[in-house]
Amino acid sequence: MNDSAPVLALTRASRRLSGRLIVEEVGFRVGRGEVLGLLGINGAGKSTTLRMIAGLLAPDAGDVRINGADPYAQPALLRREVGYLPEDAPLYAELTVSEYLDFCARLRGLRGNAAAAAVSRAIERCDLGEMRRRLCGLLSKGWRQRVGLAQAILHEPSLIVLDEPASGLDPVQALRLRELIARLREAHAVVLSTHVLSDVIACCDTVAILHQGRVHHHGALVDLDARAALRVRVERALDASDWLGVPGVASAHALDPHTWRITLDEGSDSADLAAASARLGFGLQELRTDASALEAVFLRISAAQAPAGRAA
Amino acid sequence: MSAIWLIARNDWRRQFAQPFAWVVLALVGALAAWQFLLALDMFLRHAPRLGALPDAPGVTDLVAVPLLQSLSGVLLLLVPLATMQSIAGERRAHTLPLLLAAGVGSSRIVTGKFLGAYALIASIIALVVSMPLLLQLGTELDLGRLAAATLGLLLYSAALTAIGILCSTWTAHPALAAAATLVIGSLLVMLDAGARMQGVDNELVNWLAMSSHLAPFLRGIVSSVAVTYFVLVTTLALLFAARRLDSLRTRA
Repeated sequence: MNDSAPVLALTRASRRLSGRLIVEEVGFRVGRGEVLGLLGINGAGKSTTLRMIAGLLAPDAGDVRINGADPYAQPALLRREVGYLPEDAPLYAELTVSEYLDFCARLRGLRGNAAAAAVSRAIERCDLGEMRRRLCGLLSKGWRQRVGLAQAILHEPSLIVLDEPASGLDPVQALRLRELIARLREAHAVVLSTHVLSDVIACCDTVAILHQGRVHHHGALVDLDARAALRVRVERALDASDWLGVPGVASAHALDPHTWRITLDEGSDSADLAAASARLGFGLQELRTDASALEAVFLRISAAQAPAGRAA
Repeated sequence: MSAIWLIARNDWRRQFAQPFAWVVLALVGALAAWQFLLALDMFLRHAPRLGALPDAPGVTDLVAVPLLQSLSGVLLLLVPLATMQSIAGERRAHTLPLLLAAGVGSSRIVTGKFLGAYALIASIIALVVSMPLLLQLGTELDLGRLAAATLGLLLYSAALTAIGILCSTWTAHPALAAAATLVIGSLLVMLDAGARMQGVDNELVNWLAMSSHLAPFLRGIVSSVAVTYFVLVTTLALLFAARRLDSLRTRA
């Protein structure tokens, strides 16, 4: 997590819609270079939270600060500092990709050469070169999301807000999108909503789990990982005592003789385990964070509080 | 360029990127040209007899003004088609958040949408007015009366366009928005005639009717009451549209 002044500070923000409390006292901070994953089942309040951050829906209570300022009091701040990709990419079917991006650049206050340069840069960053003359209405879902992402970043905002950006994408498109988001974190703060755990693991530094409009868990993914299992695949058939002999290993559970779920002691990390596996000749083939830690937390929050009859 | 002009230009560009605007211009142009040529032919056939009459109606009275008067009826049908996509289309295509997230206020969005749709309507009026204007090359037109009639049509269509924009904020279905605009526009245009058919001749009803305010312009009279009426209807409709758009922001 970034220790410098946060780009986004959401403090105890609540919002009612049609008389129903949708989001209740939600709060988190996101700094430059950080990707926050907003995780929750459908109806958890993710989109409403993102709309409050993006300046579309003022909170009834609490507040939103972008670089320390209130975006609802300063619309120019929204135009300049926030890029927003809603769940459905907001494209005009009748315009070509470059015409559309040019309109978006001007809408964000860019003019003349600055607008043209921003469009070219966004097209390059989102690999849209071959599509620039294609009508937006003729694009596939994956390309639509890319164009939507391009409009969200073309004015170089401090904060990028993405609502389910990988929804409806095939695995290759989703992978490319993750790579793009990984590149974006270098210069921006990113808030990403999703209900796909693997997206959070692949892209995010911190995670906030929303359920029934409240944040039930908020923290860095690495903290979760420290308590979490690693999924390890080795060439040699091992038993649990082999693993427990490795310094830093707290527990080992065999999924099969070659695949293990390993939990580390506090203070140990995956690099130590990899080094020890190599030293002991285990034939390490794969070492990755097991999604089960995040999954366990997510399910504990989301499924345990599901209405009776559905949780069974 | 302000957000208003940017939105107006974008809507104008999007309209002409589809066949709709071109087809409308071509059809209205063809229809108006046919009516214009018929009226001109009739005028030329009766011109010798008319010339012998004192204070005989001229080409402006018999060709130009009837053409613009029938255009007012065509506009009643065209405006709903030109405005139905303005906000309803944005809602249907989920593009409204693009404008809202860019910090553009509701009144600016509504004004931009109004100007974008009105530009098409004004182009149609310009196309039709250019036909009788061509007669100036060979004869003398009553340019004052023609200018008044054109101003009246522009004000009348501005009011209809603003009503269309308002209706377009009520629904995410463009066809419903068009139907609502047609119904409200027709009611306002035919209010006085309908009341008279029922034996009611009420001043308020007459004042509310658009046709009673358009009529002086077609006679060559620029009435300040009529100008005020059209400006008032346009402004009120746009204010209500902006208010409605504000309320849309707070919905799920």
